[in-house]
Amino acid sequence: MQQGRILFLTGLLAATCAHADTPAPPSPGGVLRLAGTTSAGTLDPQISYMHVTYQVEAIVYDGLTTFPKTPGPADRHAIPDLADAIPTPQDNGLTYRFHLRPGIRFSNGHPVTAEDVAASMRRLFRVNSPTAGPYYSHIVGGDACLRDPEHCTLAGGVIADNATGTVTFHLTHPDSEFMDRLAFQHASILPADTPAHDMGNTAPIGTGPYRIVSYEPTSSMVLERNPYFQQWDAEAQPAGYPDSIHYTFGLDPESEVTAVENGQFDWMEGVPLDRQAEVGRRFAPQVRITDSLNVFYAALNVNEPPFNNLLARQALNYAVNRKAIVIYGGGPTVSVPACQMLPQGSPGFEPSCLYTKGATFEHPAQQWQAPDLEKARDLIRRSGTAGQHVTIIAPSAAGHSAVATDLRDTLTDLGYIASVRTISPVAEFAYIQNSDNKIQIGLTGWSADYPAASSFLQTLFSCATFVPHSDNSVNISQFCNHDIDALMQRAATVAVTDRAAGDTLWAEVSRRLMEQAPAVPLDQARSVSLLSNRVKSDVATAIYGAVFSQFRVR
Amino acid sequence: MLLVLLKRLGQTVFVLFGISVMVFLVFLATPGTDPTSRIAGKNASPQTIERVRHEYGFDRPLPVQYATMMKKLFITQDLASYANRGELVVPELAKAAPITLSLAAGAAVIWVSVSICMGTVAAAFRNTWIDRTLMMIGLVGLSIPVFWLGQVANLITQARFHDTWLFSWVPGPGYIPFSESPLGWFRALVIPWCTLAVLFIGLYARILRADLVSVMDEDFMRTARAKGLSPLRVLLVHGLRTSMISFISMFGMDFAQLIGGGALLTEVVFGLGGVGRLTYQAMGALDLPLIMASVMYSAVFVVLANALVDVIYLVLDPRVRDGR
Amino acid sequence: MASLALLACMATASLCAPFYARDIAHTDPFRSNVAGSFTLDGQQIDIMQPDDNPLHLGLSPVGPTWRAPFFLGADSQGRDVAARLLYGGRNSLLIAFFAAALCMILSATVGIFAGFFGGVLDMVLSRIMDIMWAVPVYLFAISLSIVTIAQGLKIGPFTIASDNLLLPIFIIALVYIPYAARVVRGRVMTLRNAEFVLAARSLGVPRFRILMVDILPNVTGSLVALAPLLTALALLTESALSFLSIGVQAPAASWGTIIQDGEGLIYTRPMVAMAPGLAIVLVVLALNVLGDTLRDALDVRDSRRENG
Repeated sequence: MQQGRILFLTGLLAATCAHADTPAPPSPGGVLRLAGTTSAGTLDPQISYMHVTYQVEAIVYDGLTTFPKTPGPADRHAIPDLADAIPTPQDNGLTYRFHLRPGIRFSNGHPVTAEDVAASMRRLFRVNSPTAGPYYSHIVGGDACLRDPEHCTLAGGVIADNATGTVTFHLTHPDSEFMDRLAFQHASILPADTPAHDMGNTAPIGTGPYRIVSYEPTSSMVLERNPYFQQWDAEAQPAGYPDSIHYTFGLDPESEVTAVENGQFDWMEGVPLDRQAEVGRRFAPQVRITDSLNVFYAALNVNEPPFNNLLARQALNYAVNRKAIVIYGGGPTVSVPACQMLPQGSPGFEPSCLYTKGATFEHPAQQWQAPDLEKARDLIRRSGTAGQHVTIIAPSAAGHSAVATDLRDTLTDLGYIASVRTISPVAEFAYIQNSDNKIQIGLTGWSADYPAASSFLQTLFSCATFVPHSDNSVNISQFCNHDIDALMQRAATVAVTDRAAGDTLWAEVSRRLMEQAPAVPLDQARSVSLLSNRVKSDVATAIYGAVFSQFRVR
Repeated sequence: MLLVLLKRLGQTVFVLFGISVMVFLVFLATPGTDPTSRIAGKNASPQTIERVRHEYGFDRPLPVQYATMMKKLFITQDLASYANRGELVVPELAKAAPITLSLAAGAAVIWVSVSICMGTVAAAFRNTWIDRTLMMIGLVGLSIPVFWLGQVANLITQARFHDTWLFSWVPGPGYIPFSESPLGWFRALVIPWCTLAVLFIGLYARILRADLVSVMDEDFMRTARAKGLSPLRVLLVHGLRTSMISFISMFGMDFAQLIGGGALLTEVVFGLGGVGRLTYQAMGALDLPLIMASVMYSAVFVVLANALVDVIYLVLDPRVRDGR
Repeated sequence: MASLALLACMATASLCAPFYARDIAHTDPFRSNVAGSFTLDGQQIDIMQPDDNPLHLGLSPVGPTWRAPFFLGADSQGRDVAARLLYGGRNSLLIAFFAAALCMILSATVGIFAGFFGGVLDMVLSRIMDIMWAVPVYLFAISLSIVTIAQGLKIGPFTIASDNLLLPIFIIALVYIPYAARVVRGRVMTLRNAEFVLAARSLGVPRFRILMVDILPNVTGSLVALAPLLTALALLTESALSFLSIGVQAPAASWGTIIQDGEGLIYTRPMVAMAPGLAIVLVVLALNVLGDTLRDALDVRDSRRENG
């Protein structure tokens, strides 16, 4: 998921986030009132790619698997949800046989059947889900479905048996992350008769403890209890506390803070920098600071001068003052300097900082210390790129352009003639991806769809994700190194059978990648939310952020 | 006369057509505005992108795309946003319109009443210190950037003095619908009203005063005064009535512009989701359908008001007819 | 007179910006400096200061020191606001002045041609003006800015980068043409039928000569009276565009961009937004007073439209 630096942040840190005293049984009650800046367009869980929707719909829809909705570390993998267990891979990881839990019903009273699962997987292709290609096309028949979605059958790929309640998946190649991908919202299980087009502002029927009863994209969303819901697993889909949830959109963050302080709303996310001191002083017990898997970085185009020169890329990595970056992010409490493209808490993360004062490639530091301008200047001298023009492309949002301006100063210090160009945030991400635009540096962020090293390293820096002349080419650096590609492939393959060994390999990929310096990792942001004093307990997780069903209000 | 009216109508339609073509070309020609990949979603496969391109008709010739957009906007009214999938543009606009209308109408009540008082008093006491003071106040009002004034108002009512009895009644920035709570509606809008009105008070008071002063020297005013009517009465009844033609026509134009989104800066500063802010956000997101709809909406008001004002002049003032 | 003096003061102060920044405040107002510190009364002070709340949340730039470095405090990028205010004034005044001048030249051309020659030319020009007139000024300026800022402007072999001041100058000049051109056109049309022009025509004086000798000097009067007003409008528009971050581009400053910088600090450091706003009010007020005086002297009626 592309990361809006301040707008949508997910969160979790076990210790800071779970404020439930004891795991009390769900006792119904109350209205939970949420405040948000904007809604996120379509409600269709198989299409929407926005955090706001992902967060709300986590308690509306279920997949065969899901991510835990209880407090815990960030790198937990998928657990069974509608399926009764994570199946053991067969045929060397090409076949998975799921068995559905009996007795689960949709919010219209119909039982969930194996055919619903197969239909949902087909619908994912029929509605042109954004991840149909990257996450699900290795299901047998998936390629055909991508080419001709209208006649998608996934024949031989997904086999449903209503009588026994089993669904069998056949893959074209093994995938250590398949369970995580089935837990992602695009693989939500919907009734088989859900229309095969973008449902827009009408929410399809789901299985979770809540259902969306009304939605006005510019103003509000209301969730009420699903009358047919009965808790089947307290970790996968716990029963909810509030009787209904009211989400109001369209407030700016400043007024959201004021409104929550005054008790008009119960929750808001993303306290603006200007108000953080105030809430820290006056409302400390109601503030939640949550970690999440994200990285804010400057992609360096390895095919355009000067950053087609490895020494120039390394020099910039040495020179960028992460202390300043952290200050732009709001200070050390809410921003962590980044040394690699894998965020802290992600599977495969091992502390390693190559580009800081006092570190060498042989002996990386544990964390970032200070910029090493001498080394940077020396590298620039050896690269012979000084004096070239460099343009930084950044989204025209306040936080981003400040960082871009700071980077510009750093580049000037290194001897370049640097300038900044800001582009409307929605257009910027597409612009920096297209190789036709010949960008040199692009500022952007990335956050995980599910906790996996590959979703940062392989998605952003493998040969396959660089598509020339396309607005959809997330490998913004245009980085393609066949050795590293092979190593990533090996890590993915090893992880099918041995996750720990896979993680070790991913850590090595991350190090090797940073040696090539296709990007300058800047920082990892933590989000600051504010609760009203009505909230007695709450839960947040790395992937979903706040889990609204677990908010208890007075 | 009928011919003139028809000609005027023709011009109006032409202007609207011209604007729509201009908007369409400008925002389609801007690099980085191809909405396909945004609609398809992050990291979508090339096949998905191709399908979206075809589904939305981005692979068709420009005139066809233009015609389709116009049909979807005006006839079937199911034009959907490119930035927020599935969001229909027309209802979006319909929801923003009452907010802008509330803002503009309230501000208009304030600026019309205050400026009439100020202008009349200044004219009555012309060339005294009262006149000069009032006109100077008007000039200051004209000189304050509205977005900054809004910020200052926010600073005072939301941050600095919000906790005191003086401003604790002011709700957080944003709009409260009249149907939800008339009192809340009033409280939420009264500060934006005053902020927006300041500029117009200055403008209208000064123009009204100038009109009144020039009217006072005309013959019929002298006659009225010579008949023994009290100067104040002459000023209020005869003078004000004569000056009202230009006052009203000016008001028509300004009010139409505000309803059409001209109050954008006020809406942005006070977080009011009106037409102006919607247009601004759409432009920021390069969301062509929404830009098209809101610019057309705004142009309709301005062009109609323009035509109306021209017709009023045509009817009331024969000199203009010759001048054109 | 007071207004002229004030304008001269503001212009001079702005021109002294480099001197202030280099020799008095010793700062570079275009360089981000959030991680830095400075010395005040022998004490080392961090530019960004943490708050001492229990959660260690929040950092604020140093507030006004009321003396040489950081006289008005720092902005959220650790830059000296006072120095930026002076540099910003330079850009704001420059843009406003040149935009107004360009606008007057263009609208004089359009207005004279439309008014004097009439016919098809007048109709085409008037319809184009109608189209421009039908979009609220600020919306028009904003849409042009968004489009050009995205990519810069390419006219044939020339490229104007998006951070070039020519862009806001062109845009602001363009959007106010319908306003000024209407005034000129109206004036020209009255003149065209004035007795001395009709007389000259009947004597067979060439049209071009009539234009240069009889029309142009008479139009100049209304234009001169319009000049301060247009400059004031241009300044307000520039500040609005910059406030929406589509005018002057970072790291350069204008009064509007400083107000924008200050918006994110309004709760903790209101001075950042207050100071440039006051500067705008003063200059626009002075221009308006000047315009009044000129109008009275030249006897031209006030007619303008604005929106909020």
